[in-house]
Amino acid sequence: MKVSGTLIRLTAGAVAIAAVSTLPALAADPIKIGVITDETGRAAFYAQPVTEGVKLAAKEINAKGGILGRQIELVIEDDGGKPDVSATKARKLVDAGVVAFISNSSSPATQQAETVSLETKTPHITPANSGETLATELKNPYFFQLGPLASTQIKTLMSYTRTRKFKKVAVVGDNSGLSKIIADVFEKSLKGNGIEVAVAEIIPMGSRTAVPQMQKVRAAEPEAIFQAGIVGPQMAQFFQAYHQLGMKQPILASFNLSIPSYLKVAKDMMEGVAFIDAYDPDKPKTKEFIALYKKEHGDEPFSLPGYGYDGLHFIADAIVRAGSTDKEKIRAAMASTKGWSGVMGAKGATVNLSDEDRRGFDPEGAVVRLIHNNNHGPAIHSGTK
Amino acid sequence: MAELGELLVSAVAAGCIYGLMALAYLLILRPTGIINFALGEWAMLGAFAAVAASGDLLLPALQLPHAAAFAVVLVVTGLIGALVEVATVRPLVERGAPLLSPILALLGVLVVGLQVGTLVGGTEALPSPPPFGFRRVELGPFAGTPQSYYTIAVTLGVFIAAWVFFERTIWGKRFEAVAINRRAAALMGINLRQVGLLAFAASGMVCGVVGMLAAGASGAFYQMGLPLAIQGFTALVIGGVGRVEGALLGGLILGLVEALAARYLPIPPTLVLGVPLVLLILFLLVRPTGLLKAREGGA
Repeated sequence: MKVSGTLIRLTAGAVAIAAVSTLPALAADPIKIGVITDETGRAAFYAQPVTEGVKLAAKEINAKGGILGRQIELVIEDDGGKPDVSATKARKLVDAGVVAFISNSSSPATQQAETVSLETKTPHITPANSGETLATELKNPYFFQLGPLASTQIKTLMSYTRTRKFKKVAVVGDNSGLSKIIADVFEKSLKGNGIEVAVAEIIPMGSRTAVPQMQKVRAAEPEAIFQAGIVGPQMAQFFQAYHQLGMKQPILASFNLSIPSYLKVAKDMMEGVAFIDAYDPDKPKTKEFIALYKKEHGDEPFSLPGYGYDGLHFIADAIVRAGSTDKEKIRAAMASTKGWSGVMGAKGATVNLSDEDRRGFDPEGAVVRLIHNNNHGPAIHSGTK
Repeated sequence: MAELGELLVSAVAAGCIYGLMALAYLLILRPTGIINFALGEWAMLGAFAAVAASGDLLLPALQLPHAAAFAVVLVVTGLIGALVEVATVRPLVERGAPLLSPILALLGVLVVGLQVGTLVGGTEALPSPPPFGFRRVELGPFAGTPQSYYTIAVTLGVFIAAWVFFERTIWGKRFEAVAINRRAAALMGINLRQVGLLAFAASGMVCGVVGMLAAGASGAFYQMGLPLAIQGFTALVIGGVGRVEGALLGGLILGLVEALAARYLPIPPTLVLGVPLVLLILFLLVRPTGLLKAREGGA
């Protein structure tokens, strides 16, 4: 009893000291930073984990006393993945007095929100969106893209493909819009690398089996299969047919397989599948992030929360470098970012931004990882060389 | 030859699902004349019920054995069918609304079903482990997964039960009587309300079977309903609305044509997607009554 009493007093003392030490920070108004996420729409399955990462970073920064002696306050809005709603939500955030905001929703939604950041001259970043033209379509000096471009990811996968020396491959996807785009890019890049696409197959949405398509793939005798699928049930059918037909070819997949929910649609059937990611769990900074996330949530993170975590740290860093919460000064600090590194990206990858190029992800920073034990395994390749 | 054996098992299993959906249409269409496009969503809700009852994701605590989960799904989708009949179809029919009204009301049910599906299951595909595991099972020249053989067996069971119901029970005769002449059947003392309610509940249960089988094959997914509704309707048009066997025949033909076209037709895969729809249009133009004609009188 005595011991625990002492413990309680000790803990109370520690809490009091902690409270006193954060007092100056509490005295000032918090710095508001906006987040547009998708909690209900089609982008929810990746937007939500990214936003979890933003929250984790805010908690970490605030626990260390905040920035410029002030706490960070997140203002979070849900756009349901809808581009038209996203612009409205961006305006709501600006009206609420945010000094910068983060778009975690879909790429088209981010594109729309950009009209607001341009008009209201508010620093705006997307940590995870890979849309190729997000930072080039609109001349918006307030917008910065930190995530790996789709083309960077494809180049990385092709670089890995070259190391495997495949001559003849197959491409398999479904008939969703995004899958068609990925399959197209795969085919063009493969041909550009002098690799023959022996067969390109589509597993239609709503089909009950992929056996006919996979028999066709098997008959073409490819050395590897490029998986361009998006839709869950068709992805499951692809892997079922692959195993049922006794196929052994290595499978290489798009960055979509870095989304953890796919690990569940074909449990125990995806061992050894190679996919593109921007996250190396063996990088020291990433290890720290994993430990922090584990402490907070109890389980290991996938790569997605890392994007959001980096996003908020990037903004906080820009505010500290600007030495002010003036939006113009924050923008200028962001635009002069050189050699910044976070959780995302291969070992040694850095974020570099300028007014001429507001796409910060290191072109050599994407990695190829393997699925192992129904989980995302180690990075086995990085860069495009 | 071995390749054809693999293809046939998967095509027949797919065809069985289409046939079951056609049967679900037929159970309502025969006695009431109503085409219920909400069936696909019922099957989707059945698939979510299956995932929940087998305790994979929605309710991890609930881990019913397969037979019990199956029963739960049948009760859930049977109730959905009965409830829809009582709440949307019956009031319209009893007020003498034209046949188009309940069909439109059921399209509304489709939308409601889709939204309920996203609320219950979210927008990610929910996997459900197949009840008999996953492996390659070879039977003579045939090769398939346990789930594909199971699908074929369950479908045969459902169709035998439906056949016995229509051909050997007084309830089946009532259904037929209502199908042949609604007014005369009512005058003969057949309770139209009971027949309508039973038709919708039975159709719901067949959708539940589809949901259960589909969940075991490739999981539950909120967008799985519409393709099932279209595939079932195509199978119904091919097989004919007059007889129970027609639904199965139509489903099998559709499954085989789809699989053979995807495997052997020398056309780009994007065009293969259109093959079932070409089949649907051909039958509507050339043989709108389907392959099997109804006996005596017809609907």
